[in-house]
Amino acid sequence: MTTAAEPANAKIVILATVACAYPGADTVGQAHLSYPANTYVLRIPAPVMLPESFYFRTLEKGIGGIIVMSCGEECPYEGAYHRFAARLDRVAVRMKKEGYDRRRIKLSAICTVCTKAFLKEVNEMNDLLKEIGPPRKGEVAN
Amino acid sequence: MPEEVQTNDQPENREAKEPQIGVYICHCGGNISDVVDVQTVAEEVKKIPAVKVARTNMFMCSDPGQEMILEDLEKESLDGVVVASCSPKLHELTFRNALKRGNHNPYLYEHANIREQVSWAHHGDPAGATNKAIRLIAAAVAKAVRLEPLKPIRVEAFPHAVVIGGGVSGLTAARKLSKQGLGVTLIEKSPYLGGQTAQLNQVYPTEEKAEDLLRMLVEEVVDDSNIKIYTGAEVVAATGTIGDFVVRVRNVPGDTSAKGIGLIEKKVVFRPFQGCTVRSDRPCSPGDELEVRCGVVIIATGFKHYEPRSGEYSYGESPRVITLPDLIKLLSPDGPTGGRLEIQGHPVRDVALIHCVGSRQVDGIHEPQPDGRVNSYCSRVCCTATLQAANEIKDRFPHVNVYEFYRDIRAYGRGHEDYYEKASGKGVLFFRYTPDSPPLVEKTGPNASRPLKVRVRDTLTFGEDLEAPVDLVVLSVGMMPNDISDLVDVFKLPVGTDRFLQEVHPKLRPVEMAVNGLLLAGTSQGPRDITESCASAAAAASKAAIALGKGYVELEPFVAQVDPARCDGCGLCLNECSYEGALRLTDIEIEGKVERKALVNAPLCMGCGSCAAVCPHRAINVSGWTLDQFDSMVDAIAAQ
Repeated sequence: MTTAAEPANAKIVILATVACAYPGADTVGQAHLSYPANTYVLRIPAPVMLPESFYFRTLEKGIGGIIVMSCGEECPYEGAYHRFAARLDRVAVRMKKEGYDRRRIKLSAICTVCTKAFLKEVNEMNDLLKEIGPPRKGEVAN
Repeated sequence: MPEEVQTNDQPENREAKEPQIGVYICHCGGNISDVVDVQTVAEEVKKIPAVKVARTNMFMCSDPGQEMILEDLEKESLDGVVVASCSPKLHELTFRNALKRGNHNPYLYEHANIREQVSWAHHGDPAGATNKAIRLIAAAVAKAVRLEPLKPIRVEAFPHAVVIGGGVSGLTAARKLSKQGLGVTLIEKSPYLGGQTAQLNQVYPTEEKAEDLLRMLVEEVVDDSNIKIYTGAEVVAATGTIGDFVVRVRNVPGDTSAKGIGLIEKKVVFRPFQGCTVRSDRPCSPGDELEVRCGVVIIATGFKHYEPRSGEYSYGESPRVITLPDLIKLLSPDGPTGGRLEIQGHPVRDVALIHCVGSRQVDGIHEPQPDGRVNSYCSRVCCTATLQAANEIKDRFPHVNVYEFYRDIRAYGRGHEDYYEKASGKGVLFFRYTPDSPPLVEKTGPNASRPLKVRVRDTLTFGEDLEAPVDLVVLSVGMMPNDISDLVDVFKLPVGTDRFLQEVHPKLRPVEMAVNGLLLAGTSQGPRDITESCASAAAAASKAAIALGKGYVELEPFVAQVDPARCDGCGLCLNECSYEGALRLTDIEIEGKVERKALVNAPLCMGCGSCAAVCPHRAINVSGWTLDQFDSMVDAIAAQ
């Protein structure tokens, strides 16, 4: 058992792949390891299916951070991971243009037993949101 | 496969009248309700306009829990169901099947995970956990409102199984599969059949000869015309899904003893500590490959013994420190001394057996494996195997003193405890140690009566420091999975934290893996003895026969689907697709006009959704994972 950090006010959406990261999030719970409760895991076959607009819509709804927990190079779908990584690059460019703090969207690879990596990602994002609060267009000048 | 344009006329109908959703919140006997206030959750969820009923139950997965859903579906005319319970990995299928049983479409179902990802992860924050559960269920309801009835994709099932691993589990699985009427291809990496069982002399609890057991099995398998055996062969690639895999097999490179891929000769020769040799009937050059088509694959890749580190209990420093498999060889009439209990040319007079070497390791005390993890699991078989060896020494060499140093005796199986009783009766002395102060094996001085001594703080005598002079130390080494990283890559096999392969659920789906059509047998899944290995092999064979017995298998319908009304035939989606033939443009006639539309060939689509992300009109989506559903879930999470 561990004690979780105090959750930030803003919420975190975690996109977790069916093959790797979602079972990874389950493993964290099975080990009764704690993390802040402002975290919402959405199961997804492959994050490549989400268009760029999804990320901006989610930020506009007030979600403070999006962690994409993918299978990384272990992605079960041909070519999907590289296509997805390229999409996130485009998302980053648009974030800069719209003046969003780019740290609000984080890509990581989480395996089915990667409990430490899961906790690290969640806690880092939570700490960040405590620091920078809810998202707002133009929050950073560029 | 005929082309089918699936039209979406349901959404309009479903949206015209707000769908009515039933929400069922599980206590999981306290696993959830001890942290999450399920009553409050039910009350809050009930306020969502689309929620017709919200109920709680001690165990939703129980028969009464499932019945409750079926009754509501009828009485309340529900359009969709959400169950909030454990991970969907465990029970999503259970509840889909319940819907199916009640003649409802099983895909009008959504699962909310409030155990693994809520109560077990936020036990220190009950209010936060309760609130999170409410939002997750609200998101599931939002998705459920947008679900559509789906039909599974039917694929013809090829009635053939590939078994990987020719040990006692693989052989048993092959034999049982054949008896169920399936064709079998057995692939073994080494030149021998028999696996680790061939390393044994007599097997507990029956005390039959391992050789006899293997001979019987191998002869049956070899004589069976339904079973093809390839030794010295390995799997290098695989494609396809349940019902229709193609597995590529090749000669193990560099293994000159292997006779190559080919049918074997019927004469079985047993070689002690190696296994049964089988001979190829056709010569085969290294690098030869062949393809095997099959409907299921059984992974029976077995285990290896833990190799003690140099210096661990003086292993590697003194030739008088050996492992239990070494002792078994020493005691065997086929062993290096012809069965005499001798070490360094002299009869053994005092022997120490040390339990739990490489098992039940503790972080911070034991040195981790290269992956940074210790072997924290119990290897299960070593206690009884060690007691069996102690009994054999006492029976055959009554004057030899036998000392056992143990942490706990786990003689858990039927007949196992008898070995403990008998060993005690024969004068075997037991010493009990704790993990933080394991026994010390030391060399003695030139005048000592024995070349080694074992020192221990014995908890049976309330912490006395005791010393046993010995001339042989035997380490009861635990089990570790064989290195099958190549197969893990080829089949995307799920691996547990203990590095063994992981089943879907230890009780409900004990021999199935998360990848459909892949089954587990024997110690590839975790430490177990021959009895248990054979039971799991038989279970895997039955599961295979059930999966392939109908002649077809049904695949999840979570593949891309085009809404022709929205599609303008721009073709952007085609550029994104990695799967040959899964997506193409075609001209179809709509109300007298010919229009170009994207068309999905369902069995070839893998459902990654690369296409969905680029469509400017949201005309293409992966069924069950549509973009509208994701947006609505985010909205529900962001609310409040």
